[in-house]
Amino acid sequence: MKKGLKWVWLVVVLVALAGLFLLPGGAKETVNVAGEFELTPIVKLPAFGPVDLSINKAVIYLWLATTVIVIMAIVIARNLKPQPGRFQAAVEGLYGLARDGIARSVMKSGVDTWFPYIGAVFFFVLINNIIGLIPLPLGEHHQLSFYTATANLYVTVTLALFTFVFTHYAGINRYGVRNYVSSWMPTGAPPVLKQFIFVIHAVSEIFRLVSLSVRLFANMVAGHAILAVFFAMALIFQSYLIAVALQGASVLIYLFEIFVAVIQAFIFAILSAVYIGGALDSGH
Amino acid sequence: MNPHAYAELGAGLAMGLGAIGPGIGLGILIGKALESIARQPEVASDIRTNMFIGIGVTEAVALYAFVVALILVFVAK
Repeated sequence: MKKGLKWVWLVVVLVALAGLFLLPGGAKETVNVAGEFELTPIVKLPAFGPVDLSINKAVIYLWLATTVIVIMAIVIARNLKPQPGRFQAAVEGLYGLARDGIARSVMKSGVDTWFPYIGAVFFFVLINNIIGLIPLPLGEHHQLSFYTATANLYVTVTLALFTFVFTHYAGINRYGVRNYVSSWMPTGAPPVLKQFIFVIHAVSEIFRLVSLSVRLFANMVAGHAILAVFFAMALIFQSYLIAVALQGASVLIYLFEIFVAVIQAFIFAILSAVYIGGALDSGH
Repeated sequence: MNPHAYAELGAGLAMGLGAIGPGIGLGILIGKALESIARQPEVASDIRTNMFIGIGVTEAVALYAFVVALILVFVAK
C-alpha cells in the first residue's frame, strides 16, 4: 500500500514538472550583465584636475566596509569576555587565522612589526568581499544589486601597491639600499650573469604587483558575473522548469562565492606576508 | 563576418584554452598536497598553507586569460 502511494507521488511530481515545462515564462526581458559593473556617479562632485571625485557605488561599498570593520573592532574591544560569545569567538577565530595561520607561519622575522598591516589587509579584503555578496539597493533606479569594491581594478591595484611599497620599505629599512639591491643578485656569479638576474628579478617584482591585483579583481568579477548570469538565465530561457532548477544552482554558486571570498582574502594576505617576509630575510 | 565577431570568438578561445593549463596544474598541486598530508599528517597545517600559496599563483594564469577575454569583448570593439 505504501509502495503504491510512492508511485502516486512520483506521477504527481512528474506531471507537475511537465506542466511547469509547458507553461510559458514571464515577459521577455533583456539582460545586461556588464552593466552590473558600470559605475555611474550617485553624488556628482566637481573634478579635481584629472581626478573625478564623484561618489559612485564602489565608494559607498568601501565606506560601508570600513564602517563595519571599525564598529566591529570597537564593539569587540569594549566587551572582551574571558568566555567568548558567538560573535567574539568568530572574530577571535579570524584574528587567530590572520596572526598564526598567515603572519607567523610565513614570516621568519618581523611578525610584530608587520602583522598590523597583514591583519588589516586580510580583514579589509574579507569584509569587502562578504559585503559584495549582500544585495544592496545601489543599482540602476535603486534596485537591489550585487557589487564589490574589490571587483574594481583601481581598488585592488591600490591594495597591491601598499604591499609593493611596504615590501621594499621593509627590505631597505633593514639592510640599506645597497645591500638590499645586491641581495637580489647571487654572490660570486660573473657580472654579466648578475646583471641578467637583476633584470629578471626587477621584472618579477613588477609582475608580483600585477598578479596580486589582477587575481583579486578577476576572481571577484568572474564570481559576480557568474552569479548575474545564473540569476538572469531564468529571464533568458523563459521556462518555469528551468527557472526552478536554476534557483537551486544559484544557491550552490552563491555558497561557492562565499568560499571564494574567504579564500581570496586569505591568499591576498598570505602573499603580502610572503613578499614582505622574503624582502626581510633576503640577505642570507 | 564583422570584425567584432572575431574578437568575441577570440575571447571564447582565450578563456577556454587558458583554463586548460591551470586546471591540470591545480589538479597536480592539490593531489600532491593531499598525498603528502596523508603521508605526514603532523605537518598538515604547513602543507595546507603552502598549498594555498600555490593555488593563488597557479590560478592567476586562468585569471589572466579571463582578463584578456574581457578586454577582447569590451575594449577591443
